[in-house]
Amino acid sequence: MAPYTNIPLSPAELSYLHTSLSQQPPLRPDGRSPTQFRPLIAETDILPSANGSARICFADGTEAIVGVKAEVEKSRLAHTVPSNGEAAGQGVLGLGKGSARDVGDEMDVEGDESGGKGRDAWLEVAIEIPGMRDDDALPVFLSAMLTEALLADGGLKDRLWINSRFHWRLYIDILLHSQALSYPLPLLSLTTHLALLSTRLPALVSEKDEDPLFNDDWEASTYLYPPTTTTQHQKPPVTLLVMSVGATILFDPSKQELAVADSVLAISAAQSSTGELRMVALRTIDPPSRLTAAGVPNVLNTTTGATGAQTLSAADVLAMREKDQGQSVWRPPRGGVPRALVAKMIKMVVERGGVGEEVMEGLANVET
Amino acid sequence: MAITILPPTPAALPSRIPSTAHHDTASSDEDDDSMDIDDLPSGHQAHSAAIITPGQTVTDDAQWMRGHGTFAAPDSTAIRSTLAGTLQKTNKLLSIVPLRARYTPEIGDLVIGRIVEVQSRRWKVDVAAPLLANLMLSSINLPGGALRKRTSVDELNIRAFFGEGELLVAEVQSLFQDGSASLHTRSLKYGKLRNGYFMSVSGMGGGAGVVRAKRQIFTLQTAHGGGEVDVILGVNGYIWVAKHTAEVEGKGEAVGVNRLEEVASASMYSSQNDDIGAETRREIARVAGCIRALMEGGVKVDEETVRRAYEAGLEMDEREGEAEYLGGERGRSIIEMVLGG
Repeated sequence: MAPYTNIPLSPAELSYLHTSLSQQPPLRPDGRSPTQFRPLIAETDILPSANGSARICFADGTEAIVGVKAEVEKSRLAHTVPSNGEAAGQGVLGLGKGSARDVGDEMDVEGDESGGKGRDAWLEVAIEIPGMRDDDALPVFLSAMLTEALLADGGLKDRLWINSRFHWRLYIDILLHSQALSYPLPLLSLTTHLALLSTRLPALVSEKDEDPLFNDDWEASTYLYPPTTTTQHQKPPVTLLVMSVGATILFDPSKQELAVADSVLAISAAQSSTGELRMVALRTIDPPSRLTAAGVPNVLNTTTGATGAQTLSAADVLAMREKDQGQSVWRPPRGGVPRALVAKMIKMVVERGGVGEEVMEGLANVET
Repeated sequence: MAITILPPTPAALPSRIPSTAHHDTASSDEDDDSMDIDDLPSGHQAHSAAIITPGQTVTDDAQWMRGHGTFAAPDSTAIRSTLAGTLQKTNKLLSIVPLRARYTPEIGDLVIGRIVEVQSRRWKVDVAAPLLANLMLSSINLPGGALRKRTSVDELNIRAFFGEGELLVAEVQSLFQDGSASLHTRSLKYGKLRNGYFMSVSGMGGGAGVVRAKRQIFTLQTAHGGGEVDVILGVNGYIWVAKHTAEVEGKGEAVGVNRLEEVASASMYSSQNDDIGAETRREIARVAGCIRALMEGGVKVDEETVRRAYEAGLEMDEREGEAEYLGGERGRSIIEMVLGG
């Protein structure tokens, strides 16, 4: 591609895209409907030596591979596990209890003996993006967001509990196979979801608190998320990127659409055992549109023969810019996003028959 | 259905598997190649199926002449490739068509560029070439009536003409020693771009992407009340699809050389879009989708293929209803309709 890819778009282009997207119905540059995703190519179980793996190719050519590896590890018994699951997990990423997770855990701790005994440290997510160091901001932020969603779900880390002395340690290795053209979070999240769905752990033959002994027949292994014939079972979370332009809400935004976004949210939704989706994590992402330069309206442009620029005082010019509100020329978005719009975005993801459910269904039907 | 998930397609088998089984000498592959060259039909459409790598000997037969993408060592007659690509034969001329290629500027090319940097008397413009192109302040149309020299006021005001990120259509005026281009916009056809949508099909080799043609700028009469849509195909693979502006044609022949700049100056450097109706926007999106489908299908992008693809897209929408996304399966059927004639 072009050698200078991070130059902002011109004010005329931004204004054109912004007006097109804020119309009702919105006109996306590639003609999709607001909730439509670009077609993607997916397959699972591609790595023979991993416990679970998946590959997804997006239509814009970005591709990700995820491998899941499980290891048996001896639990540290430094402190006894309290019966209350909330206290055990120390909050997401060890940031204390104030984060998203403690809402999730209280709601449905499963009835079996492993409920609430999982620990945050049992899950490790590593992201590799070509051309970026592992301590660059993007991979670190992405892996934090994915980890947050996976842990907030509560269900995953409890599944890693074997007995009071041993547990599984899960390594999720994510490899972005191409340059990050648009924001790669949904691609990585969908691939991780598929890989976790295909993850199998050896069947346990030992009992209670004995040293764990496993069945060496891979055919007998159990799925981390056992598939059932009905849709009513727990599934790992997916993180969807949702953006808003004016009152319009768009799913799976392309790079150009992100360039004019008023706000971008990453919404993680997980399916509980009753088959209902619920939101487990929410992050706002700083849209690139804030870094763009504003356009100059014709009345203030010295080259269009307008006299405004010479005759108006600085205060008048400022007032004119404020009053314009981005109607005639592009103006980078300011301020936050209305609460009602955030609520609507979340509802579109988690409601019954909503986008989240369709994405989950689509991913469940992926063949190996 | 919000999401379409496709299974991966297995890699296509090579159309012709070279029979190298019974050869074991070092010169065997060269013999094979010279056999292939005789079998290869002459002309632009025919390429060899095998991919040639840089440095590989294409032939050592003295009857062939070397074309683009090949070189011959001074002391031998063997023709070697300088590129990774496929072999193309034109009578006795052998050339290598690269798989992917960056745009190389040539004088007279119509290009679309994006301003990267503003300097004191010039702009640096990204035209998808290895080096940034130059646009001098003295090679643009200055507004303000009569032909005039550039002044120090213009130099101070340079961002009022073009700022960073802005798009322009220009012509390559001359080339520097290092192969970078110097552009000019001294015509009413050229200048700042607005009222439309930008897309890039640069970096395509092998006859795909934008090819040099008689006309790089043309107007499509669109359906569904979209009016006229201008398409500018930059030779460098940058494409601009915009609402047609009647301004230039409206004045027609009346614009003399002396009045040229007077007429042009009014909106030449404006960055404010005109009012564009929803119908026009929808058709612009459709044209862009068609061009994207052409690019993904590896078909060249010129006036004829764009017109055909647009008609194919319209036809398909009539048949299937108002599904507008032109990716994936629908894109492939557009390619079939374009190539089918």
